[in-house]
Amino acid sequence: MTVHSLTASQLSVGYGDTEILHELDLAVPPGKVTVIVGANACGKSTLLRAMSRLLPPHRGHVLLDGKSIHRTPPRELARTLGLLPQSPIAPEGITVADLVSRGRHPHLSLFSRWTRKDDEAVDDALAATKTSDLAERPVDELSGGQRQRVWIAMALAQQTEILLLDEPTTFLDISHQVEVLDLLTDLNHSRGTTVVMVLHDLNLAARYADHLVAMADGRIHVSGTAENVLTEENVRRVFGLESRIIADPTSGRPIMLPISRHRMVMKQDLKESRP
Amino acid sequence: MLSPTLDRIIGSRRRRARRHVLVVAILLVFVIVIFVLTLSLGQSFTRPGDVVRVLLGENVPGASFAVGQLRLPRAVLAMLAGLSFGLGGAAFQIMLRNPLASPDIIGISWGASAAAVFAIVVLSLKGSIVSIFAVGGGMGIALLVYALSSRNGAAGTRLILVGIGVSAMLESFIAYILSQAPAWTLQEAVRWLTGSVNGAQLGQALPLLMAFAVFGALLLSRTRDLEALRLGDDTAAALGIDVARTRIMIIVTAVGMIATATAVTGPIAFVAFLSGPIAARIVGNRGSLLIPSALIGATLVLSGDYVGQFLLPSRYPVGVVTGALGAPYLMFLIVRANRTGSSL
Repeated sequence: MTVHSLTASQLSVGYGDTEILHELDLAVPPGKVTVIVGANACGKSTLLRAMSRLLPPHRGHVLLDGKSIHRTPPRELARTLGLLPQSPIAPEGITVADLVSRGRHPHLSLFSRWTRKDDEAVDDALAATKTSDLAERPVDELSGGQRQRVWIAMALAQQTEILLLDEPTTFLDISHQVEVLDLLTDLNHSRGTTVVMVLHDLNLAARYADHLVAMADGRIHVSGTAENVLTEENVRRVFGLESRIIADPTSGRPIMLPISRHRMVMKQDLKESRP
Repeated sequence: MLSPTLDRIIGSRRRRARRHVLVVAILLVFVIVIFVLTLSLGQSFTRPGDVVRVLLGENVPGASFAVGQLRLPRAVLAMLAGLSFGLGGAAFQIMLRNPLASPDIIGISWGASAAAVFAIVVLSLKGSIVSIFAVGGGMGIALLVYALSSRNGAAGTRLILVGIGVSAMLESFIAYILSQAPAWTLQEAVRWLTGSVNGAQLGQALPLLMAFAVFGALLLSRTRDLEALRLGDDTAAALGIDVARTRIMIIVTAVGMIATATAVTGPIAFVAFLSGPIAARIVGNRGSLLIPSALIGATLVLSGDYVGQFLLPSRYPVGVVTGALGAPYLMFLIVRANRTGSSL
């Protein structure tokens, strides 16, 4: 598998006159799982949208293999770079297999016919997301977790080497959140797919990220390994929250425990604990 | 090695495609049957054999005038206008993912109608130049509604509300112009306010046919892109569609065919609005709604005109009949949208 590089350089993006991202630089490590975290309205979804061509930059560039994605024909781009938006819409009554086959769109042209290769890509995507048994069910009858797996299957049928996901676990209960994140990690391991996603939950982000990016006020505050990024100091800076970081006994990854004003059993002087 | 799932996927895709073709074929036969029926059944009955002979250019005493001069132009115009309204309306509804986003609800048909009335009454124009005015009026209103509602990129509900407001203004503008017209007849007023194929002439069919062929072909070439837009603008863009360009292309083609039809028949009430949802009921998830919607549109106008002429106590133009069908559906949609609290 060829490895594609996706980078943002000096990227400023906004809506109308309001600038959300300010001269931001980001290099997505190829073949790894990158997770973007940050407080509400810090610009993390905006960054993902800008990286996938949904928003034009005010200044700066998003480069795929050194070429601006806004200069690449959309169809060509969609064969390398996939995106699962936050709230995709399933047309009424559509079946799982039909929805997943929509992922083949960038591979079809006006006059090209649907081929065996397209069917195989759909079959493959269903198998990878363990949704083969659902193939003929209408999407509106599925549970939230199943539905999210189907949308991921659609993105997989697109067969892109880079996959961006905007909060793929929202509205899912905790077991389905873990299921979806495990699935994405499987894909990363088995196919080498570069995964970039925005997540809300810091602990899940630290658990699954090879590369963790913490954003604040439209800039990248810090990025690196989970251990380097998820520190008490960074949580205070990025989220304005006092916390304790401990190691997760099962994964060894850091876990953030927020400190609240109530129910304290251990008296501690917060100022003293600051590094 | 063939995985059992792959087999099932291929099987169900082929089955869906076959059923879609079958549905389209049945609708097509239905349109042809109604077309022939409206040619043979009028004040008097003409045997289908004679109808065919007249259509082939033979002179059949007692049938040539009724069929060739009276019924044929009317049926041809009704069919072409129905195809145009059905296809253009469904394209808008699919593109904006909302049945209320149909050109007759959001003011585009009224724009075409107002421009046609203005050209005829105020500028004393005739013929194809009126069509050009209508297309310009429809296009202008489409752009106006789009621009007024697309602040921050949001379309949807705001576009519909703006469109309903614009419709009301245009409707009163038409009524005003007609009241100022030197010798306006009730029949003319009705044509521009609800749509009618009274006094149809075969010569009017040519621009309609051309607009439908050209714009229809362009629109149908975008079937896949429209299907992708149903997944939401962001998903469509992620699948490699230039959403803004596709939208403009669809607006221009759909408005082109709807405005041309409106220039001839007036805004036949609710045909654009009804065809897509009826087609969706029939087609379900088997495939694209575009061609079925066009055929439903033709069915609605042809049968609506027949009902209006012969099955009601007095003669009504087709728009009155389709309006009586469409208005309850519009109320149903609005009530349902209010109850579920959805954004229309």
